[in-house]
Amino acid sequence: MDVSTLLQAQNDKFKSIEVDKELEIDPGLLLVSDLNPIDAEAYEANLEDHLQSTARDGVQALLAALFSLPIHSSPDGPVAKLPAPTYELPRAKPLPKPKPQTKWERFASAKGIQHSVKDKKVWDEEKQDWVNRWGRYGKNKELEDQWLTEVPANADVDFDPAKDAKTKRKEVIAKNTKQRDANLARAQKAADPKESRKKEIESTLQSTRKSTASMGKFDKKLDGEKKIRGIKRKFEPAEVSAANERKSSLAILAGLEGSSAKKARRAEQDGQGASDVVNVRKAVKFASGGKGSHSLARSASTQKGKTSFKKGKR
Amino acid sequence: MEAREPKEVEDAKTVIFVKGSHTGETVNNAMKELMALKRPHAISFAKKNVVRPFEDSASLEFWSKKNDAPMFVVGQSTKKRPNDLTFARMFDGRLLDMVELGIDNFVGMAEFKTPKATPGHKPMLHFASELFDTHPRFTQLRSMLVDFFNGEVIESISLQGLEHVISITLGPTPPTLNTAEDNTTPLPKVHIRCYTLSLLASGVRIPRVELVPMGPSLDLTMRRHQDADPDLWKAAMKKPKMKKQDVEKGLGKKRKNMEVDDMGDLRGRLHVAKQDLSKLQTRKMKGLKDAFDADGENQRKRRKAVSEEADDDDSGGE
Repeated sequence: MDVSTLLQAQNDKFKSIEVDKELEIDPGLLLVSDLNPIDAEAYEANLEDHLQSTARDGVQALLAALFSLPIHSSPDGPVAKLPAPTYELPRAKPLPKPKPQTKWERFASAKGIQHSVKDKKVWDEEKQDWVNRWGRYGKNKELEDQWLTEVPANADVDFDPAKDAKTKRKEVIAKNTKQRDANLARAQKAADPKESRKKEIESTLQSTRKSTASMGKFDKKLDGEKKIRGIKRKFEPAEVSAANERKSSLAILAGLEGSSAKKARRAEQDGQGASDVVNVRKAVKFASGGKGSHSLARSASTQKGKTSFKKGKR
Repeated sequence: MEAREPKEVEDAKTVIFVKGSHTGETVNNAMKELMALKRPHAISFAKKNVVRPFEDSASLEFWSKKNDAPMFVVGQSTKKRPNDLTFARMFDGRLLDMVELGIDNFVGMAEFKTPKATPGHKPMLHFASELFDTHPRFTQLRSMLVDFFNGEVIESISLQGLEHVISITLGPTPPTLNTAEDNTTPLPKVHIRCYTLSLLASGVRIPRVELVPMGPSLDLTMRRHQDADPDLWKAAMKKPKMKKQDVEKGLGKKRKNMEVDDMGDLRGRLHVAKQDLSKLQTRKMKGLKDAFDADGENQRKRRKAVSEEADDDDSGGE
C-alpha cells in the first residue's frame, strides 16, 4: 500500500480547517468582519445555507486566531489572553476627570516624597508569623493586649496602660478621619461651580468699586459694606548685607534680559542651543551609523587596544 | 453614586428595553429574545410608554440617567411603521445616535429544537458584506450592534466558554447603490442569525467548527436613522492615555529590561545564569594536573599508579 494513499485516508477523516477568504479579525472583541461582496446566486438559491456557510467560515478563522493567542490553563479550562480591541466604540460616559490632590499629596509632590505602599501584613518576631498591621488581631493593638506593661515612674495611681494605649490609637484614627473629611470638603468646594462663580463676582465687584475717579474714596457706602482689603505691601529693610543686595540686583538684571534670551541660554545648557552649531545627537547617530554613542565609544576603545597590543609583541 | 462615576475602562453597556404605545406579538417576542441574549446587562420596562425617539429624546435621556444605562431598544408597531425596533445609544446622558429597523421575519428560539448557549456567555460576532466598511448607514449599524452584543473590553476569555456566534449578514449589494446620498435604491436586508458552535477534531490543535442554528433569527430592513453629532461623537471616541507603566507592563508588547538612555540609545540588560567555574580551563601546567591534586582520592590513585609502574619494572628486569 502506498504511503500517500494512507495519508490521504487519514486526512479525509478530518475536515479542513482552512479558510481561503480575506477576513478582518479583531480577537479583542471576538469580532470577525467578512468584507467580501455577498454572492447573489448563493443568496437567492438557499438563504439559510448561504448565511450559515459564510458565518462558519468567519467563525473558523476567528477561532484559529483565538487559539493562536497566548493560552494558559485555569481550573475552568484553557484561557486565552486577549489583545486590546482594534475596533473602536464610543464611550458611554466621558473620561474621568483627575481627582484633586489631598493636602498631603500636594506637600509630597512639592517635596518629592515618593509614595510607597505598606504591606497589609507585618512580621511578628514573637509569634514567628505574619500578622495584620491593623484590623483584627492587628499589630497596632499590641500594647493593649500584652499581659505585662511597663508603667512610668510618675504615673497616677489609677493609670491603666491598656486604656492609655487605646485612647492614643483612637486619637490617631480620629485625626485621620478629620483630615480625610477636610480633604473631601476641599475637593468638593473646588469642583463646585457655585463657589467659583461667587469668587468671580466678588473680584468683579471689587474692581468696579475702585473704578471711579477717586478710586472709590468718596463714594457712598452702603450699610454693612466691607472695606476692600488689598494686598499688604512689604518693604525690605534699608540696610541689607552686600551679598543679599548683589543677589537681588542680579535677579532684576536677569529679568530684564527677556524671555528669548533666557530660552536660548537654557537650551545652551542642555547642549541643544542655537549657538551650538553641531547637533550632537544627530552627529553621534551619523558617526556611529545609527548604532549610538555607546557602540561608538566601544569600537574606538577596542581599536586602540588592538594596535597597542601588536606593538608590544613586536 | 460612586459606582456611577465615569471609569477609565468601562463596563458592558446596560440596555433598556422599552415598549412603545403599541407593540405586536412579533416585536414583543423579538425584544424578549434579544434581551435573553443580552442578559445580565438588560433592563426591561414592563409597561407601555408613549415614546417617539426620533421626535423627542427627552424621555430616553431621563431613563438613561435614572437607570445608569447608555443603550435602548425601543419596540413599537404603528400603521406607518409596523414591527419597528429602534436601537439608541447615549453618551454622557445625551442621545448619541439611533438606528431604526423593521422586522420582516422573526423566528424565535423555541422554534429551533437545538441546544442553546448558556445565558451570560460572551458571543462571537460575525459581520458579512463589504457595505459594513463602505456605506455610512451600515458602518453605523455595525458599530451599534457590536456595542449592543459585545461592547465590553475583557482581558482574557475561557476557550471552553465560546458557545455561540451572532452573525449579521446583508443581502446582495444592489449595483446601483454606490453613494450615501442616493436615497432611491432600497438598502439591502439585514439578516441576524444565532448559531451554537460544535467543535470537531481536525487533526491539529485548532478544531473544525460546525454551526447549529440556535435562534432567534431576524430579517430586518433599514428604516430611519439619526447620525451622531460630530462634536459629541468626537468626545465619545476619546481614549484614555495609556499609562507609561501599563505600556511597559506589556499591554500589547512586552518591553522588559530595555530602556532608552539620554543619548537616545536603546540599552538592554541581560541576565546570564550562574557560571560553572569548576570547569573553567585555566593555564595548562604540569603542576596543575589532576594527578597532582591534593585531595585524597587522587593521591591514592597516583600512589597506585606509581606502585604498578614499579611492579612492571621488577618483572621487566631492564
